[in-house]
Amino acid sequence: MAHNAFLCRMALGVVLPALIAACGSGAGTVENTESEDAVSETPETSEASEASEASETAAINNSEDLGELALRANGEDFVRQGFVTKDGWQIDFDHLYVNLSEMTVYQSDPPFDPEADEQITAATTVGIDEPITIDLAAGDETAEPVLVETLEAPAGRYNALSWKMTPAVTGPAEGYSLVMQGQASKASEVVNFTLKLEPTLGFVCGDYVGDERKGILAANDKADLEATFHFDHLFGDGDAPADDAINTEALGFDPLAAIAEGDTLNVDSSDLQSRLSSEEYELLMGILPSLGHVGEGHCQETELTDS
Amino acid sequence: MMGLRETSEISLQCLWLAVLGVVSTPAIALAHGVYIQSKTTSAVEIQATYDSGEPMAGAQVQVYAPENPENALFSGTTDAKGRYLFVPDRPGDWELAVRQAGHGDITVIPVSEAGVITTEFSNSAGLTPLQRGIVAGAVIWGCVGTALYFRRGKH
Repeated sequence: MAHNAFLCRMALGVVLPALIAACGSGAGTVENTESEDAVSETPETSEASEASEASETAAINNSEDLGELALRANGEDFVRQGFVTKDGWQIDFDHLYVNLSEMTVYQSDPPFDPEADEQITAATTVGIDEPITIDLAAGDETAEPVLVETLEAPAGRYNALSWKMTPAVTGPAEGYSLVMQGQASKASEVVNFTLKLEPTLGFVCGDYVGDERKGILAANDKADLEATFHFDHLFGDGDAPADDAINTEALGFDPLAAIAEGDTLNVDSSDLQSRLSSEEYELLMGILPSLGHVGEGHCQETELTDS
Repeated sequence: MMGLRETSEISLQCLWLAVLGVVSTPAIALAHGVYIQSKTTSAVEIQATYDSGEPMAGAQVQVYAPENPENALFSGTTDAKGRYLFVPDRPGDWELAVRQAGHGDITVIPVSEAGVITTEFSNSAGLTPLQRGIVAGAVIWGCVGTALYFRRGKH
């Protein structure tokens, strides 16, 4: 009997830790098939979700649990009001077209961290199906960020946003993902520029970071979320110290002025590649994926391809 | 006479009141004394740095309690090393934003019933396992540090 009892205890001693370890490792390796590519107006559940979570998700699909979520794009005051580059050029934009594709908002759980090497896990996603070209320079100096589209969305915390910039099929930016049009002036020199760039860019971002919280949508209420573009990364900021990273890592406008023909610079990506130095062109292409933000929050830059 | 008696009675009353006042004055003065109690609590310390590793010194910090993500419960600035300390007074997912010169980040700090960062904590800012260890250590330091802070004596 004592021998049997000893064997039973031995068996328990082996089996129980194994079971505990199995449970622990199971919880730690749960994967979610949803990624930033998932776009759906219908709330979805992840593999990690339990049945109770699924029923909760279904519940928020009721019309009374919906609200209006306005998706906006913001070029900030740099684009609306103009600014001075790191090398002393006053830049004023007439138009700054970006072609936005697959713009998607997520109720990410856990909250998405763009700085970490991970993907969004979301039970609810809402997106815009069709690409849309917007002018970040639209309106006067005090204009609100440009409305991309207002979506009917389930109530909840929209704490992640992704979008792509792809070459436009039609419209004022046809053939390009980014078109910058305006004047650069320095002392008596003026350059009327049109920069047409066609790389495809992808941005996957976490929660909006700014003066106020965004993306918190209550039922029968309104909220907004914003894709923010930091063009000071490209040209630098004359108001910031010369040794600030925003300037040391920026292209500035001098290299572009140097390839202008008279007072005109009308170029596309291939022109820039052939006329800028290889270092300058690589610097330009390296900066483009860092344009996208959510307010002051950085984004994961998922792709950069030349068309 | 009546008036005098009344006057003397009033004077006597005044004297008693004065005596009472003198006797009670120390008690009144004691009400303005400073009495500092000490207690041990759990605190969370964060450290914010730029990609380069440079501390975000003097950056704005907003801390949002779990049930109110729209309005900051605490706000302040980081110290010279980019550090900020706060005491979460309830369990749940606390959110903390750090911003400076147009750049910032927001992170979620899950706090357990016991008042410590839960083991699932995977702070944003791309923390390495080592850095996560530093954050966890900061909680323990916070307990000690906060206790020391309040234990400045009684006055």
